[in-house]
Amino acid sequence: MIPLVRRLAGAQRGAAFAGIVVLAILISPVAADGSRVFLQMGNLTDILRQVSLIGIIALAMTYVILTAGIDLSVGSILALATALVAMALTRAWQSASYGWHILLAIAVAVAASALVGTLNGLVIATTRIQPFIVTLAAMIGVRGLAKWLTDNQNIDIGFGRDVAAEFAAVFREKAIVIGAYAAGAVLFWLMLARTVFGRHVRAIGDNERAAEYAGLPIRRTKIWVYTLSGLLSGLAGVLYAAENHQGNPNAGVAYELDAIAAVVIGGTRLSGGQGGISGTIVGTLFMGVLTNMLRLNNVDSNVEMMIKAVIIVLAVAVQKVG
Amino acid sequence: MRTLNIVVALLFASCSSSHKPQLVVAFSQANNAEPYRASQNAFMAKLFARYPDVKLVIADAQQDNSKQVAQVETFIRQKPALLIVAPNERAALTAVMAQAVQAGIPVICLERDILQPNYTSYVHSDNLAIGRLAGQFIVDQLTRKYGKPKGKVVAMRGLLGVEGEINRDRGAREVLDKYPEIRIVADPVADWIQAKAKDRMTEVLRTQSQVDVVYGHNDPMAIGAYLAAKELGREKEMIFVGVDGLGGPAGGIKKVMDGILAATFVYPLCVDRSVEIADRILHQPGFKPDKEYVLESVMVTPDNAAQMYEKFTVP
Repeated sequence: MIPLVRRLAGAQRGAAFAGIVVLAILISPVAADGSRVFLQMGNLTDILRQVSLIGIIALAMTYVILTAGIDLSVGSILALATALVAMALTRAWQSASYGWHILLAIAVAVAASALVGTLNGLVIATTRIQPFIVTLAAMIGVRGLAKWLTDNQNIDIGFGRDVAAEFAAVFREKAIVIGAYAAGAVLFWLMLARTVFGRHVRAIGDNERAAEYAGLPIRRTKIWVYTLSGLLSGLAGVLYAAENHQGNPNAGVAYELDAIAAVVIGGTRLSGGQGGISGTIVGTLFMGVLTNMLRLNNVDSNVEMMIKAVIIVLAVAVQKVG
Repeated sequence: MRTLNIVVALLFASCSSSHKPQLVVAFSQANNAEPYRASQNAFMAKLFARYPDVKLVIADAQQDNSKQVAQVETFIRQKPALLIVAPNERAALTAVMAQAVQAGIPVICLERDILQPNYTSYVHSDNLAIGRLAGQFIVDQLTRKYGKPKGKVVAMRGLLGVEGEINRDRGAREVLDKYPEIRIVADPVADWIQAKAKDRMTEVLRTQSQVDVVYGHNDPMAIGAYLAAKELGREKEMIFVGVDGLGGPAGGIKKVMDGILAATFVYPLCVDRSVEIADRILHQPGFKPDKEYVLESVMVTPDNAAQMYEKFTVP
């Protein structure tokens, strides 16, 4: 019975997504050669690139929400990672070879981000303070940390011929960014659907009491889930730094809301237990296509916000009905 | 961490004042998160450090009107020797700055206007004039390119409704509108943010087969547009013009030196003049400052960029 319900919801989600794509094609402006701009390969990959960072964050956010948790600190962690990777590239290890230097810089940024996630998870799993409060505190504190480390300044990566510019040139490549998202999506889908860990994630959100009586490792699972969330936010931060040629302590404000929106539009319940990675991917793409469609048609940016609001509610409503 | 610093600084200021008189200058900053404002803070700290009897305390309102009102109220209670306010928004700060004036505290209004002249001095620049300068620069560049004033311009807009955005836009349009063959083919809104400008410019480039000039209402957005064009291999097709002209390695002047921006127009930090006035208010009894000081912009092109970099970089 449940699989049938799930399949139906999946079909309706697909229908909502197909609807927005068809609409985007229909109203797309036409290029000089008569083709529809929306359908140009360049534009389609633009959309993928633009949603990749939120998409990556939303993968781990799906796990978090499946455990009936929430992670509000992802945007701040992203900012911390952009600052750390840019600082490591421009201010440390100047004698190292390019390859090692870049690897080290990324490792520092991602490891620090994962560590913040681990701290979130530790506090949540051991004190039972609500995830909303713990990660809200982390959101504030980590933003402060990023601003303090950088003294409120952007760390410029520049356009020279040094290691930092080399890093940016490689990691802002569309193929790398989209590839990172795709690889993460496959990995997180597999982990959720095919591993014991994935089953635990779902079980905790479905019924934590029952999971506890069944002897599942609740604490360990939660700590891992928040660690993954920090880790992916850090990875997104590394890509952000490359794409924008800067470490920016003010980056990623409100990204947590975009990520949560992608997860929820994808059909995962905020109360936990139900949902999954494929839904989140559709939710992420949905938002990307919607933005692109409105921007290609030069819709007034205030009207854009209103249209988005209506379409988001419609998209979720379609999944609920029937 | 910032807040902690401020609290510690305040405690320190209040403790030490019992030993020897110290002049506290309280500065309420609208939002540390903008590079322009971070530079103001850094520059102000540097300049006030020259006066050993002055203690500068900076509070960050994080772009929130009510936070800033509360911070100014708290400052008034502390009776600083001078209050400097960079208002987040005009209407919200007008009343509380009147309270400060009524409390007998000299008030410098920094860079942004309020609704009534509730200040001792107002130090600012002129965004409309900057917009006109940028517009004229664009006309000159297009004339050089085509032999006459014609071409396609993209305006990358800041946060709508903010004075800087309105006037930098209006000033440029006043000039560009005189030439029917110069067309603004797109004017997306990127809220002053580089990352957003990159995405918005990507979409513009998908729909526009030819662009001659990108006019960013600030440097980060002009740079974001450059990154988008570079990704599509079209950065040589057009020039990029920005406003702000901050110094330092992450500022717009460096981007002119690097050949990324064709020009940027310095939006003065207004800090050096403010500190000069502050010094005289604090140290010269009977000094009567002017009600208003207007600072002029400087155009930065590759010709004078290195020189301007020296001038506007805070070490």
